[in-house]
Amino acid sequence: MASSISETNFEESKRIKRRKTGDELRDPDTIDRTRWRSESEQRIYSTKLFEAIRQVRRNSSPVNKVSSGRDIQDAADRVLAVAAKGRTRWSRAILASRLRLRLAHNNKKHKKARVAKVTGSIRSKMPEKKRFIPALQRKVKVLSRLVPGCRKVSFPNLLEETTDYISALEMQVRAMTALTELLTGSPVDRLASTSVS
Amino acid sequence: MEPNLGTIARSISIRPNREETGLESLQFREEIHRLMIVPPENGSSFTALLELPETQAMELLHSPHSDKGVTVPLSGVPLHGINDDHKSYLPSFNGNLTFPSNKVLIERAAKFSVFASGEHSPETSSVPSDSSANLEKVKSEPADTDSNPNSSQLLVSDPTVNIKNQRSEKRKEREKKGKGCTKKTKIEISQDAEKLPYVHVRARRGQATDSHSLAERARREKINARMKLLQELVPGCSKISGTALVLDEIINHVQSLQRQVELLSMRLASVNPRIDFNLDSLFAPESGSLVDSNFSSMVSPLLWPEIPFNGNRQQHQQQWNFDALHRPLWGREEDSHTFITMENSLLSYDSANSASLHSNQLKMEL
Repeated sequence: MASSISETNFEESKRIKRRKTGDELRDPDTIDRTRWRSESEQRIYSTKLFEAIRQVRRNSSPVNKVSSGRDIQDAADRVLAVAAKGRTRWSRAILASRLRLRLAHNNKKHKKARVAKVTGSIRSKMPEKKRFIPALQRKVKVLSRLVPGCRKVSFPNLLEETTDYISALEMQVRAMTALTELLTGSPVDRLASTSVS
Repeated sequence: MEPNLGTIARSISIRPNREETGLESLQFREEIHRLMIVPPENGSSFTALLELPETQAMELLHSPHSDKGVTVPLSGVPLHGINDDHKSYLPSFNGNLTFPSNKVLIERAAKFSVFASGEHSPETSSVPSDSSANLEKVKSEPADTDSNPNSSQLLVSDPTVNIKNQRSEKRKEREKKGKGCTKKTKIEISQDAEKLPYVHVRARRGQATDSHSLAERARREKINARMKLLQELVPGCSKISGTALVLDEIINHVQSLQRQVELLSMRLASVNPRIDFNLDSLFAPESGSLVDSNFSSMVSPLLWPEIPFNGNRQQHQQQWNFDALHRPLWGREEDSHTFITMENSLLSYDSANSASLHSNQLKMEL
């Protein structure tokens, strides 16, 4: 009791100010582990994915004969990014890239100036940083290229994004496998899907 | 006459001394009274301090430089009410009373007393210790400046023993305790650090305490925590030690997952035209082909969102078309006769009323 009172106004105001300027990514840290694993999340995703696939087919069937796998993959990624609710950097990058493509497609005709990419990197103000060995640095670069929208992100934030991205990808694989099984009526061999055909 | 004058003069000279001493004692009494009156305004119990010195001060007045080494039992000495006013009084007391003559300490004590906002000694003794603990946790101060608030806190928190000895003893204890339970505080700090952008780390025993290394240490711990999470996520990574290999594994895993998604999407793209061709096969009851547990759970939620989605179309036809899409799939698990009845019911709603039309419409849907 006395200790809670001892939380002085001075400290409280400091802490509240810190919370306001705090990093958004810190909060979903605790949600991440269970977020992409829940059944409901997968169900929601597969529902939206089904809708999206149907929409793709409807849009593409008058133009092409068959919707390519690439389109389906883009649709699946987009739906995954939507399911992420915009809390993570990679999800925002996926959604933004589609917008940017559309903008570029529209602007090609009008020859407008290209919109500059805004990739924010939160640099800490601490002067001393951990220097990476060139071998590690290369791997970090490779990883940053793999995760969408994380090219100029600091290493700890990159790790956080990777965590969320991996769980989201696993959920995506689970949902698409189930959907394929449902539509084809034959079980999909997981091992076969891992090998590159 | 002259000796009379001399005696008178002497008497006069003596008397002022007595008077002076009397005056001094009066002054002291006044000061003490003033001290007694003022502290209650600030809510401190300085009177407890003053009760004893009041009597002792009288003794000390008469023997100002006694070598008693008066250890004043300061019962309930919270130096809360110590303001600048009191500072001037303290030196006026005997030097035997070991008060903190250091102005900085007094100011700090005053500050902490403001924070503590406690009036009674037991409360205040616990409160400033907590606040000091909080402050110690929160502020990363070098060990030197820590000693000052420690000592001032000690003055506040431990009233019943001789100040000087207690100060040094408690300081050591407190520092040891601080160093001993750094693990706990560090864990709490790391948990807090997850929420706050500022990380406050206390230096461990035998570690550098400048801000650079503290910041580096905080950063390294952040990175290590996240790497641990990733290792748990990626299968087979917890055995591997070393950042490079772990990163390799992570990259491989991400690449394999992305490849899986690509494959599945190709399959999905190739699957759907099959449905167009094989719609009759869908209608024909196939036993045991779809036994998935998630099958019905997936289909039923698929059912409901379709209906509002097609609000813009001609509703009835399209709705029943969607039913046609889903129910044949659903009906596979059911008995054949129920399936046929469902199909009949579908057909009855549809104006076209033929299976071929159904298949065409189903083709259109996908």
